[in-house]
Amino acid sequence: MSSNKIVIFGYGNHGKFIAQGLAEDGLSVSIVESKKERVDDAMSDGFTDVFLVDVTKDSALTKMHLDTFEQLVCVMDDVHLNVFLTLSLRSLYANAYILAISDSLNATKKLQMAGANKVIDLYEVSANKIYNILDKPIATKVLEDFVNNKSGITFKEMLIPPNSFLDGKMANEVDFSSHGVLLIGMIDEELGHTFVFVTAGISHKLDSGDTIVCLGEQKELEAFEALIKKKEERGVNI
Amino acid sequence: MKELLLSFALFLHRSTRYKAIKAFAKQLLFDTNSSYKRYFDITIIFLVISSVFILIYEVKHPVPEWLDNYDIYVVSFIFAVEYLLRLWVHNDLSELLIKEYNDSKFLNKEFSLYTVLKAGLAEKLKYMFTPSAIVDLLAILPAYRPLRILRIFILFRVFKLLRYTKSINQFIDVLVTKKFELLTLLFLLFFIVSISGIAIYVLEADINPHIHTLFDGLYWAIVTISTVGYGDISPVTDIGRSISMLIIISGIAMISFVTSVLVSAFSERLSELKEHRIVDQMNKSTSFMIVCGYGQMAKMFFRQQRREIGAYVIMDTDATRVEAAKKDGYIAIHDDASSHKTLSRFDAQYCQITILCLTSSDVENIYITLNAKSISRHIKVIARVNNPETVNKFTYAGADELLLPNFVANTMIYTAITQPTMYKAIHAILTGKSIANLDEIHVHNSHAIKGKKVEDLDFGASKLLFLGIHRRGEFIFNPPKSMEIETFDVLLVMGRKISLEYFKSQHEGDINVKQ
Repeated sequence: MSSNKIVIFGYGNHGKFIAQGLAEDGLSVSIVESKKERVDDAMSDGFTDVFLVDVTKDSALTKMHLDTFEQLVCVMDDVHLNVFLTLSLRSLYANAYILAISDSLNATKKLQMAGANKVIDLYEVSANKIYNILDKPIATKVLEDFVNNKSGITFKEMLIPPNSFLDGKMANEVDFSSHGVLLIGMIDEELGHTFVFVTAGISHKLDSGDTIVCLGEQKELEAFEALIKKKEERGVNI
Repeated sequence: MKELLLSFALFLHRSTRYKAIKAFAKQLLFDTNSSYKRYFDITIIFLVISSVFILIYEVKHPVPEWLDNYDIYVVSFIFAVEYLLRLWVHNDLSELLIKEYNDSKFLNKEFSLYTVLKAGLAEKLKYMFTPSAIVDLLAILPAYRPLRILRIFILFRVFKLLRYTKSINQFIDVLVTKKFELLTLLFLLFFIVSISGIAIYVLEADINPHIHTLFDGLYWAIVTISTVGYGDISPVTDIGRSISMLIIISGIAMISFVTSVLVSAFSERLSELKEHRIVDQMNKSTSFMIVCGYGQMAKMFFRQQRREIGAYVIMDTDATRVEAAKKDGYIAIHDDASSHKTLSRFDAQYCQITILCLTSSDVENIYITLNAKSISRHIKVIARVNNPETVNKFTYAGADELLLPNFVANTMIYTAITQPTMYKAIHAILTGKSIANLDEIHVHNSHAIKGKKVEDLDFGASKLLFLGIHRRGEFIFNPPKSMEIETFDVLLVMGRKISLEYFKSQHEGDINVKQ
């Protein structure tokens, strides 16, 4: 996982859900709010690093030393404030990784212009989902269960360590499904840290340092990760 | 007599055959979705057109006798049968008779044949005096040969065609709304025409060589007031000319008044007429979508246009939003989807209707869902849920699919934070990017892959990733290689669109042969 220190701006509709999810995963979460009652709400939900800050003031933001955090998540309920905040953060910290939520196409553009690294459009994803439901209801349902980890089947990223049995093999040579997992794609460092779907049709050489993304049951995934971490035993045919 | 009629009515009441015939006649005449009606309509239209054609041809050319006989006997006979059928199915005398008999037995009063027959026949008579019934009757008349003047009634056959156009009914509807204004004008017209017609007759009948009767005078008045002015009759005295000037001026005033009344009546009803048309158009397609609420969500939905969405209509209770949708180039009507009347205009029996409840209010969305489901269980409802606490209510209301924008977005953000690389993958799958297109292969009865084992299906060759099988509501992830594919399985595969199409074409190759 890329980060362990995350700041969430806003403890409203979205902030609450995200903060709780992240806390469950054991990540360190700090919450910044400009409303007193929301701060209290966060406190009563068990968060300790909650700050009451007027996010429109640069001086207040500088004081927080946000450069020590790896991800800044802007999910204020007020879109205007969200854009303003993104812009302030970008101007203060040129290298910060900023994630923002948007609730309209116009806001998405503004957030991107303001310098957010990733913008998630509330309605875009939902609109997409309608198309998916209309086109392929079963696939959508199954996929949703994967993403929300409802069916016990989920995605997992795995780093191929040096000397793993996968190191140097072509992706289509390895029979993943006999291990109970499926290879979805990989992040290829040779191609410059891009995610490549296995279905793209290009046969990839797996190298140590590559990250592969697999789909499978939690248990099987863990077993498989343990397997690839094992030093390669020559002669054993897998 | 009474007993005889009653027992006959009872016989009809019990006869399933009689009922079936009557139902068929009804279907033939009224059921717009029946193919019989379509053939019937085409036949009638053909008869009308051919009959009128013969009438025109006859004026200058001799007509062969068989054609004449066809025109007079065949066409008229079919029209007569149609007329009688319509009269027959209009109401049910025998049922009425039996009901009255049962009622009077229940109340211990004497059964009176007279009142029942009177009520039933009055109903039939009422039908006979409706405009369409009169037209039907007149269309039969030309069959009476000795009176050649009746030939002109063939033109009434053309009026039969009016039954097939909705616009004439709508036109009449519009006129009815302006009944008061039009009647006032008509009265005024009648008044002016009769006054001036009588005046010219009295003043010029002896002087003017063209005016002989009162009819001439009235004819002149009408021709003048309508500003047509043939000129075959014109006033010759000064006083006659003065009357002409007065009627010409009042005629212009009246025509402009009538025009303005009609125009305003139509413009008032125009949007409503257009919406009627849209609904009719929708009902003609086999499946369509009703999008309720034109807000952020709906805008985004339409803007993406990932595929042809087919027939659709946007419905909103807010007129400004409807205007906005129209301005954006979409089909929209201003109506309330939560009212029973609105949704029941759509034909849920024959069309597959999908309703998207995308308003920002959960209360509204639940109400629309319930409304749709109360009209027909077949209507598919995809509802937007804003507050996750109301999910249960939506499932109770019967929504087929739920959409939680906040939840979806939150999950995405959450994934973006915890698993940034995964985010890309999931996002690509969710948005259906071409390489990561997750698709379903539905195995039908004659599908070539039915009965094959999983290992026999070479997904790798077409660069597809096989995820699993959805069978009887459960998803089997990464099934064992020896598992056999059954009918009604849904295979979930991921890959490029071309790969999928290639795979499908490879394995569905022989359905056409089997079907």
